[in-house]
Amino acid sequence: MASLDYAYRRLVNTLGPERVARSEFERMVYSHDFASLPKVALLQWKLYPDFVALPQTTEEVAALVKLSDESLLQITPRGGGTGWYGGSVPNRGGVLIDMRKMNHIVAFDPDGRTVTVEAGATWKDLDDFVESKGFALPIVPVNAIGSTVGGAINSGSTGFGAPRGGSLCDAIRRLLVVLPDGSLLKTASEADADGHLANLTPLFFGAEGTLGIITEATLRVVPKPEAAKAIAYAFPSLAAAARFLREIVDSALVPYHAALASRDHFIFERALRPDSPDPADIALVAVHGSKDEVADQERTVDGLAAKENGAKLVPAVTDQLWRDRYNNYSARRLSRGLVTSYNLIPVGRLPEAVDRAVEIRDKLKLNGAVQAFLVDSTTAALVPYVLMDDTRPSGGTALGFVKRMGDAAFKMDGHSMGLGLFLVFNLRKMHGRATSFISSVKVVFDPRKKINGGKTLEVWTKYPWPGLRSIPPPGMAVGLEIAAILRRAKPTRDRFVRAYEHGKEE
Amino acid sequence: MGLLRDWHYIEKAVHIPALSEVIRDALIRALFVRDDRVLPRDLIADLSRVPPVTVKVKDDGEVRKLVRVLNGQESTVSLGLSAEDYHYFRTQLGVGRTREFGAVVRPRTLLTYDWIVPEQRGVQLDFTGYAGIEFGEAHRAIAQVGATWKQLYDKGVAKGHVVPFVPTVPLDFAIGDGLYGDAPFASYRGEFASHVNALRTISPFGHRARVGFEEVANNGTAYDLLHATVPIAAEFFIPVAVALRLEAKPAARKTLTYAYDDGPKLAVALDKLSRTSQTPTWVHVTDAVASKILRPASVADLFTVQVSVGGTASGMAAKEKAIDTAMAGFTSKNAEVPNPFDVPAAAYRKTADTVTRSLFVGEVRVPAKSLGDFVARIRAFGDQSAAKAGVYASLRATGTVSTFPFFAAPKDRSKVYDLSKGVRAIAAKTPGAAFTSRLAHLWEEEAHFMRRMALLRSLKLTIDTAHVVQPLVSP
Repeated sequence: MASLDYAYRRLVNTLGPERVARSEFERMVYSHDFASLPKVALLQWKLYPDFVALPQTTEEVAALVKLSDESLLQITPRGGGTGWYGGSVPNRGGVLIDMRKMNHIVAFDPDGRTVTVEAGATWKDLDDFVESKGFALPIVPVNAIGSTVGGAINSGSTGFGAPRGGSLCDAIRRLLVVLPDGSLLKTASEADADGHLANLTPLFFGAEGTLGIITEATLRVVPKPEAAKAIAYAFPSLAAAARFLREIVDSALVPYHAALASRDHFIFERALRPDSPDPADIALVAVHGSKDEVADQERTVDGLAAKENGAKLVPAVTDQLWRDRYNNYSARRLSRGLVTSYNLIPVGRLPEAVDRAVEIRDKLKLNGAVQAFLVDSTTAALVPYVLMDDTRPSGGTALGFVKRMGDAAFKMDGHSMGLGLFLVFNLRKMHGRATSFISSVKVVFDPRKKINGGKTLEVWTKYPWPGLRSIPPPGMAVGLEIAAILRRAKPTRDRFVRAYEHGKEE
Repeated sequence: MGLLRDWHYIEKAVHIPALSEVIRDALIRALFVRDDRVLPRDLIADLSRVPPVTVKVKDDGEVRKLVRVLNGQESTVSLGLSAEDYHYFRTQLGVGRTREFGAVVRPRTLLTYDWIVPEQRGVQLDFTGYAGIEFGEAHRAIAQVGATWKQLYDKGVAKGHVVPFVPTVPLDFAIGDGLYGDAPFASYRGEFASHVNALRTISPFGHRARVGFEEVANNGTAYDLLHATVPIAAEFFIPVAVALRLEAKPAARKTLTYAYDDGPKLAVALDKLSRTSQTPTWVHVTDAVASKILRPASVADLFTVQVSVGGTASGMAAKEKAIDTAMAGFTSKNAEVPNPFDVPAAAYRKTADTVTRSLFVGEVRVPAKSLGDFVARIRAFGDQSAAKAGVYASLRATGTVSTFPFFAAPKDRSKVYDLSKGVRAIAAKTPGAAFTSRLAHLWEEEAHFMRRMALLRSLKLTIDTAHVVQPLVSP
């Protein structure tokens, strides 16, 4: 391996000194993603990158990838850092490529209904641009404000618009990717050939940056709806709200979005912003169509809500909920960290799933809330979160929640989402005997494991010595299970919000 | 359907010194039509061989055993055949001799044409008898690959679901034909693959392996191998059942039929419809020739568009009004004309028997705006080639129309090749169009496409290290 100083000089020669960072402070900023990690993790991984590089063009990304052949440093691509499981965090230092300077709209084709955008642009910015042209994105990931185009594609994300607009993967016409050998690949043909003409786009969807670095995406856009309306209801229980979402699917309605959030979520919100809605188990539905259709859909949805004793919220509250739809985790400001468990479960089992999430949270004596939304006619996303304080010795044990929730999702014929660095043990649970097929993809694209190695399929440590180079994935599962057990043994619940505790007692 | 196998064969062939002087195009033609003036007779004899053994699958356990025998993990004794069958099997496959053989799945119905390089020495799997369909409480079905689309569609409706995808060309396809054949399944909102949640497969090592998730979508579970391979899944593993995402049956359903006397007007209307927020289940388009085949008793208009809509009883009028507005330019509208799909099974099969007589060359994806122009060119080309042409098509929400041109011509391979070539030329002249037939894959030489195919081939070889699932062969 070349010396770090030599590697630094080569990087500076490629990008210039202003776009290569190696100071302690900058490296620290890139040592974690949205999830909080206990300090003990530093014993296992070198989470601080050696260098942070900020390329501005695809050619620069290709040059950085080629440079790693000389320096033998690992490459970790990173978007907005809104992931939860360490997919964009280094495990052996190396060069972290921050894609956020590549944030331009490359082309907009209203006839072909596509927009080509660099991978570092955020979804919110892209959505605003597309909207300014009289179009809309068929699907917008949940963390649209911070999440970048490349990041969401790499995490196999879903989000707003999925019931109507389909999967995010279907919304991608083509990607431009820098492969591990530094060459460029367009993942699909120029024409709209969908699965034909060797479309490799799905392989990069959810790949967590392990097959190559996405630098550009051509996405489908759809015309703006003639009319749109958001409607919200407060339900007597979370399960009732979940049954309401299930009824929407069974009634053959295809809303733009349908989601629920538990009362606890609004208690946290109220603690942060006094003008937030009154705490309740709330479902938020958005419908699109012609004016007449929107009115008809609203009547149908009203009827379904009434069956579950849902009370319609006043338009001002609904509008506020819709306006703030991308701010799902402001509760993080109440603690020092937040742990989110992202799972897909069958729509039919949503009522059972939300109850299970609350049960696990309470058993582990955690503070948290449950959120869920419809993905398609079979699938709902269940996204509960819990607060944690990683500065306390017991803080890290909150990570056990993710393990327990994932296990519960598998039991309900669903699965957890994301593997990253922490949840690799779920890979075999997800794919069973097909795991070898999945692993074959990495072998074909990146046999030398240059790009984001030691994640998704295996867990590398920072140690180069045989026997310690990697952790068997079940070892990680055991670690998180122990965290859950310790958490359960903890005699008291953390107290982050007095109002929250008060609300629980009511 | 042997796409990687054919592509690999061509790639290897163009590098053989004796054949390297023949340009790629001419070589593909010679291989496709089995031209003995260009190719050695031995080669043609080799290519014309068909699999000596066909196994009619009744249970996926049989496939597992067979795969284990083919990859050498078990002996033929474990197949449990009768003495007579056992002798036949061993003799035909040449078991005991040193040669590789694999398994290939036979489509129930092929829209276009057979592969260039058939599996010559191995076993052909016939899944016609493996046709169960299982529905759950949720809106999903698990269909064994031999189940026909029509069975799934009818049973789905009876169980309170809607099967959103329909075959644009109404032939009697099995569900598996979407994985190892060329069945043109699609809905307005997506391709066939977007309705597939998972595949139950037999791996090249004889294990049962599920690709994807039967009950939920597979976002965020590492590489989406499922959707990358659906059209050619049987070249990586042997799919035996498909978990399909259905939709709830709406309270009211209707098929709206619009007639047009002008291609450009039709094109504008389809483009406009795809720019509204309407989400019909499917939009099916036929020209006069295709309409006459589907509805022989009726007078065929120049173009007929059928739009299947569903919703609440109270909301249907609003939907219909919005669609009428988008479809402006039609000469007549009718809500009573039967569609090709909601008919009794016997009637569907009867129509399919008629449809199948035409010669199909594959799918051309055309922007809706260019449809009128494209169909006019296809017609003119048909007249030039003395083969009357027609078109079946379906509209997608993306504004792309999947068209399937067909010709009244004998189905000999030379004719198929020449007509495919002509359709390719027309597609090349139509902005934004793409010809996606198997021959088009072989003709394409764009650098990124070649790289993608090479990556798919490497992936196949890495997954199928046992060389059992449609093994690649070289000339």
